[in-house]
Amino acid sequence: MSTTVVRVRLGKGDQIRFVSHLGFMRAFERTVRRARIPVAYSGGYHPHPRISFATALGVGMTSEAEYLDMELDGAASGSLSTQELFDRLQLAAPPGMPVIAVCTADGRPTLASRIEWASYRIGVHDAVRHELKDAVLELLSSDSAIAEVNTKSGQRRADIRPLVREICWSSSGALECTVACGGRAHVRPQDLIAHLRSMQGCGGAPGQECEPIGRFGIHRTGLYFTDREGGDLVSPMSVECRDLVMAGS
Amino acid sequence: MMVNKDLLVTDILPRVSQPARYTGHELNAGAGYRADAEATLLLAFPDVYEVGMSYIGFKILYDIVNSNQAWAAERAFAPWPDMEAQMRVHEIPLYGLETYTPARNFDLMGFTLQYELTYSNVLSMLQLAGIPMHADKRAEGDPIVIAGGPCASNPEPMAPFFDLVVVGDGEEAIADIMSETARGKREGAPRAEIVSRLARIPGVYWPQARNHVERRIVTDLDSAEYPRKFVVPFLEAVHDRVALEVMRGCSRGCRFCQAGMIYRPVRERSMNNLCELAEALVGSSGYEELSLLSLSSADYTRIKDLISKLASEYGPQGVAVSLPSLRVDSFSIALARDVEKSRRTGLTFAPEAGTQRMRDIINKGVTEDDLMAAATDAFESGWDQIKLYFMIGLPFETLEDIDGIAALSRRVLQLGRQVAGARGKAGRARVNVSVSSFVPKPHTPFQWFPQNTREQLEEKQSCLKERVRVRGLSVSFHDVEASHLEAAFARGDRRLAPVIERAWDLGCRFDGWSDQFRPGLWQQAFSDMSLDSSMWANAEYGYGDTLPWDHIDMGVSRAFLLREAHRAEDGLTTPDCREAGCSGCGVCRGDVRVRLAGEFAGSSSQGGGQA
Repeated sequence: MSTTVVRVRLGKGDQIRFVSHLGFMRAFERTVRRARIPVAYSGGYHPHPRISFATALGVGMTSEAEYLDMELDGAASGSLSTQELFDRLQLAAPPGMPVIAVCTADGRPTLASRIEWASYRIGVHDAVRHELKDAVLELLSSDSAIAEVNTKSGQRRADIRPLVREICWSSSGALECTVACGGRAHVRPQDLIAHLRSMQGCGGAPGQECEPIGRFGIHRTGLYFTDREGGDLVSPMSVECRDLVMAGS
Repeated sequence: MMVNKDLLVTDILPRVSQPARYTGHELNAGAGYRADAEATLLLAFPDVYEVGMSYIGFKILYDIVNSNQAWAAERAFAPWPDMEAQMRVHEIPLYGLETYTPARNFDLMGFTLQYELTYSNVLSMLQLAGIPMHADKRAEGDPIVIAGGPCASNPEPMAPFFDLVVVGDGEEAIADIMSETARGKREGAPRAEIVSRLARIPGVYWPQARNHVERRIVTDLDSAEYPRKFVVPFLEAVHDRVALEVMRGCSRGCRFCQAGMIYRPVRERSMNNLCELAEALVGSSGYEELSLLSLSSADYTRIKDLISKLASEYGPQGVAVSLPSLRVDSFSIALARDVEKSRRTGLTFAPEAGTQRMRDIINKGVTEDDLMAAATDAFESGWDQIKLYFMIGLPFETLEDIDGIAALSRRVLQLGRQVAGARGKAGRARVNVSVSSFVPKPHTPFQWFPQNTREQLEEKQSCLKERVRVRGLSVSFHDVEASHLEAAFARGDRRLAPVIERAWDLGCRFDGWSDQFRPGLWQQAFSDMSLDSSMWANAEYGYGDTLPWDHIDMGVSRAFLLREAHRAEDGLTTPDCREAGCSGCGVCRGDVRVRLAGEFAGSSSQGGGQA
């Protein structure tokens, strides 16, 4: 059976920010079914639609960069254009899950294995911004930064400096950062904030109450591959992709 | 007006478990509260979101109210203790999920009473809503608080907390209540006047008046409203699928079963109606599973046709058809084989009792041969695990019946080993035995009988545990304290209300959740009120006694229940009226009658050979 891989970029809006990654995936699978898109199914006792997300987003965050690859059943989907897929998905998607772009992709190697960086915009209160300014400068000027990070296997200490590719203040006063994301190296934006704050003496002591992370309004703005040659950041929809359709285009 | 959403988002929801329980905005959710709506209703489910969102009655009412342009309904569920604590600290009142409107702003608040051990949560929700707990303390501006659902068949233990109680099918009653409320508001009638007008609607019980009330019955389900759209949760609900109610009611007549009495008569939907609903619901939800819901879906007269039609239509779209309940017979296995091609993990049967004598007493029309034949088919069809449901503490039970449960379970396991052994996989056969304690329920032939004492039940449990110590056989028991409390509430009267309030005050919440249930606090609540739970759970009511629920008329006559109680005592069975003619339960009159979509194929012993 021939298959086509379609890459989709979704957003995760404010109203569904507390939906878990699992819930978000399930909601997309149901969107596909409502849109009557002939997705391919895995074999075996529990057939699942062949949809794979790039990476999970933390509960409570919003995003404009949730990528996924979905395999279509080639026989049934033969003539479906990406425009048609885009339109159908957009119509069927639940509130809070905007469809931003659709294209076709190679699908090998997998999307998840190629993601290396994620960028975030972190909304920060005036008082906290002031507190963090020095910490950001200090981080940028140092070669290493040992921080408490949360990984799948629990909390441990790690050097996160090499994992922070960019960090700066936007004109609107938000903290913009690009950090390692994916299987090889990963830092969660909330761990980065916690580290910056601990450099300023807040949140360092265990159990100490400080500004709840919910107040920071973390928004994912992009996910990226690394260009093999130049080392530049590359959008998952810019290479090896065809027939790109974007919202508003 | 809405609750402080910013505070929720920034300070509260990041700190609680499963925050998506409290945010709404799901696909197909209604528009919700409008100040200019003629009547507004907050549907309140006294358990967590995932449980409440699984309950079909709740979806039906939500749909009926929201399909009328003049009305508006929202949903609220019991906040988990971590959320309740946060709401108290931050003074966030209970709110509807659609527009975050505080509960107090609604004209009506409607509780679903599905299970006795959710009663303490009703009080939490009222308290968080800022609504006086006692109906007689409510004043102008307070919502009118109404209850409905199966537990409304004995509302007395909770009666002081409700302005009104709806008994029976809600489809027509809810519409009457909404329009009467709208009329009252239009006319500027005071709250008390609206309450008394609502109390005159058929099927409505007014606890303050202790009126006789006849259960509301929808005569023809095809013409009753059923949603064409379900709200699709982001969180995984307990039953997260398209639920297609194929029929309501069951006339098999198991004597312990309340649902089998209070939902009579059997009313099947037509095939056309079901196919049309399935098409709409699958298309609007995107669910991956379509479940044929009823008390005994294998009894639906055209079940084979229905399953093959739905499976061929929706299977290719990745939608699996499922049957939540199976009869103990080969016919059911054949059905299960048709629908669950991909799910060969476990299959559940409910023989309920371990000996033929006891199965006759409870009128469970299943023989050991039926069970063995069904189990053989199941094992041969590739299911390795079988789950068996039994009850202990039934009326007239002896130790032999307990032995019977163990013996029967072992025989099923042995059979599984033989069948699986033929495939060289004898070790894979498993039998899981689930044992609950009999809870005597109102409006059943066993309503007069006491529940076994907790000591008796514990003794029977350990006795059974001894007898099933075999590899491949596992047994689990329902908590004795929880069953005991369930029995007290089920058979209770109004004296229990202060106990429930006291227990709530002591901190009881989510009593149906074993990790939250605190029987010690409940016992303290009883003794603080100088009462004892066994006064209700373990009371033997006399056949001539006035029972606490006698004024609630569920349609099945007392004479029938009494006759059935006597037949149980004599070990006599009563056949299903769908095959043996009317058994005189008294529910059918006027337009209320059994409605079938086809020819009833009969019980297991007649229709069982088809596999």
